[in-house]
Amino acid sequence: MIRDTRTLRLLALAAVAAMLVAAYMIFIYAPQDQVQGPVQRIFYLHVSSAIAAYFCFALVLGGCVHYLVYGNLVADRLARAGALVGLLFTINCVVMGIIWAKPIWNWDPTQTWDARFTSTVVLGVVYAGYLLVRRFASPGRSAMRLSAVVGIIGFIDVPIVHFSVQWWRTLHPGPIIEQDALPAPMLVAFMVTMVCTVFLAAVMVAIRYRLELEQEARVLESSASLELLPQR
Amino acid sequence: MRAVLGHDLTQTYGAGPVLGPLDLELEEGEHLALLGPNGSGKTTLLRILATLARPATGALQILGHDALAQRQLVRPRIGYLGHQSGVQPQLSALENLEFYAALYHLEPERARAALAEVGLEAVSGRRARELSRGMEQRLALARALLHDPELVFLDEPDASLDVTARELLGRLLAGRAAVIATHDRALAASLCGRELELGAGGATRPRLGTPG
Amino acid sequence: MNGWRAVRAVALRDLRAETRGGELIPAMTQFVVLALIIANFAFDLDRVSAPRISPGVLWMVIVFTALIAFGRAFAADRENGSLDAMLLSPAGAATIFLGKALAAVVFMLVIEAFLLPGMAVFLGSPINLEVVAAVVLATLGMAALGSLFAALAARTRAREILLPVLVLPLWIPLIVVGSRAVEEAMGGGALQGQPLPLLLDFDILFVVVATLAARFVLDD
Repeated sequence: MIRDTRTLRLLALAAVAAMLVAAYMIFIYAPQDQVQGPVQRIFYLHVSSAIAAYFCFALVLGGCVHYLVYGNLVADRLARAGALVGLLFTINCVVMGIIWAKPIWNWDPTQTWDARFTSTVVLGVVYAGYLLVRRFASPGRSAMRLSAVVGIIGFIDVPIVHFSVQWWRTLHPGPIIEQDALPAPMLVAFMVTMVCTVFLAAVMVAIRYRLELEQEARVLESSASLELLPQR
Repeated sequence: MRAVLGHDLTQTYGAGPVLGPLDLELEEGEHLALLGPNGSGKTTLLRILATLARPATGALQILGHDALAQRQLVRPRIGYLGHQSGVQPQLSALENLEFYAALYHLEPERARAALAEVGLEAVSGRRARELSRGMEQRLALARALLHDPELVFLDEPDASLDVTARELLGRLLAGRAAVIATHDRALAASLCGRELELGAGGATRPRLGTPG
Repeated sequence: MNGWRAVRAVALRDLRAETRGGELIPAMTQFVVLALIIANFAFDLDRVSAPRISPGVLWMVIVFTALIAFGRAFAADRENGSLDAMLLSPAGAATIFLGKALAAVVFMLVIEAFLLPGMAVFLGSPINLEVVAAVVLATLGMAALGSLFAALAARTRAREILLPVLVLPLWIPLIVVGSRAVEEAMGGGALQGQPLPLLLDFDILFVVVATLAARFVLDD
C-alpha cells in the first residue's frame, strides 16, 4: 500500500473534485424537500458520512483481526489510519445530525437518542478509545495488540448497542422521522454524494497511512542515531 | 538437548532497538551469569527467555520446544524470579505457596516442604507483608522453584538475600539449568560456570568468562 | 473440571486478600452511602417520585461503584509480579481472567446486597425479586467486560482515564435493558419484552468474548 507522493497528490485532487461534484448535486441538482425545507439537504452528507464512518470501521475491524492472527504490520497501520478518519466522519455525522434534528424535533431527548444516533455516538467513542489506547500503551507490539482488542470488541458492541436501544424503543416509542422513499432526483443526488464521500474517506485513509509510515521511519532513524536507551 | 538455544534475538521499544541481536546457548544443568550495567537489557532478556515477552525478531528453543510457538509446553518446566516477588502481601507465606501449588496441580503438602527448603517453616503462618525483605525474597525463591523446574531465570536474586540465603541459592540451583542476572561478580563466579556480558547499548558481544 | 479448580483458587485468593485488610469494600460502601444521601437531596425524593427516580439512581451508583471495583482488579498483581507468576503456571490467561472476574462479581454483589436494601430504606425504592434479578444479571456482564478492560487499561500509562472510556460504551446494552427491567419491576407491572433472558444472552456473549480476548490482554 505504499504509494508514492505523486499518486497521493492526484488522489487528493480527485477527492476534492469529487466533493465539488457532490456539492453541486446536493445544492443545485436535488430539489428542495416539501416538508422539511432547505435544512433537509443536510441529510445527504449526514448519511454519507455515516456510511463512510462504517466503511472505516470495517477497515479497522479487518486490520485488527488480521494483526492479531498474522501479526501483519500493514494491517495494524491500516487500522490506525482507519480509526482516525472514521472518528472524523463519525463526529461530522453526529454534528450534522444534531443540526438537522433541531428544527424538526427540537432536540427532544426521546427522539434524539434513538438506536441509530446512540450507536453512532458509541462508534465514535470506540474509535476514540482505540486511539487513546494506542497513545497510552507501551509503543510497539503492546499498543498494537491492546488496541486490536479494543477495535474488535468495540465492533461487536456497536450492533449490540443498536439492538438494545431498538428493543428499548419498541417499549417506549416516539415518532420516528424516517426519510420516505426518495423521489428519483434526490436518490440520484444521494447516491452520488455517498460515492464521493466514501472515495474521500478512502483517500484520507491512504494519506494517513502514508503519514504513519513516514513517522515510523523517522522514529527508527532518530533512535538509531542517538542510541537511545529507554528505561526498562 | 540444550536447555536454551536462542538465535538472533532482538527486542524493541516502539521502533527503537533495546536488545540484541544476540545468540545464546545453555546446556542442561549449566549456570550462566548475565552481567551488565543497568539498562543494558538483562531484565528484557530474562523476560524473553522466560516466555513472558516476545522478542521482536529471532528464534528461541527451550528444553527442546519452540518457545515462541509452544509457550504453554515450555512454561510448566521453567521458573522465573523477577524484580518483584510474585507474592500476595495479605496472604500468609504458606497460603501463597499453596495457591501456586494448586495452579501447578501439586499436592498442598508441597507448599510446606518448599517453605522448609528455604528455611521459612517458622513463619509459615505469617502474612507476607510482615516478612523481612530477605525472608520475602526467600519466599519468592520458593515460589519460583515450587514445581521443581529444570530451568530457572533469576533477575538479581542476590539483591535482597541475606548471607545464609546465598548459600541456599547454590544448593537450590544444583542440578537445574539457570540464567542469573546479577551485579555481584563474586556471586556470579561462585555460582556460574559461564558469563554473558551485555553492553551499555543493549547489544552484546558474548564473552565467555573464566569458570569460577 | 481441572480448569474450574484454578479459577476458584484465583478468585479465592482475591477474596481472601480483601477480607484481610482490603480497602475496596469499605471504599465502595462509603461511596454508596454518600451517593444515596446526595441522591436524596439532589432529586428531592419523596414517596411519589421515588419509584420514578430510583432506577436512575440505582444504575448510576452501580456504574460508578463498578468502575472503582474493576479499576483495582489487576493493578496490584501486575505490580507485585503475581500476574507473571500466574501466567507461567499451567492455569493460562483465560483461567486467571475468569478467576479475577469472578472475584470482582462477588465484590459487586456484596455492595449491591448493601445498596438495594439501602435504597429501599433510605429512598423508599420498591425493591423486589425482579429488580434483584435484573441487577445481578447486569452485574455479571459488567464484570466480564470491566475486568477485561481493567486489565487492558492497567497496561497503559493512563489507566484511570481509559477504563471508563473503554468500558462504558460496552456497558450501555446492559444498562439500557437492565434499567428498563428495573423501571417496570419498580412500577409493579409485568416485565415486557423479556429483559431478563436478554440480559442473560448478553452475559453469555460478553463472558465468552472477554475470556477469548483475555490471552491477548494479559499475556504478551
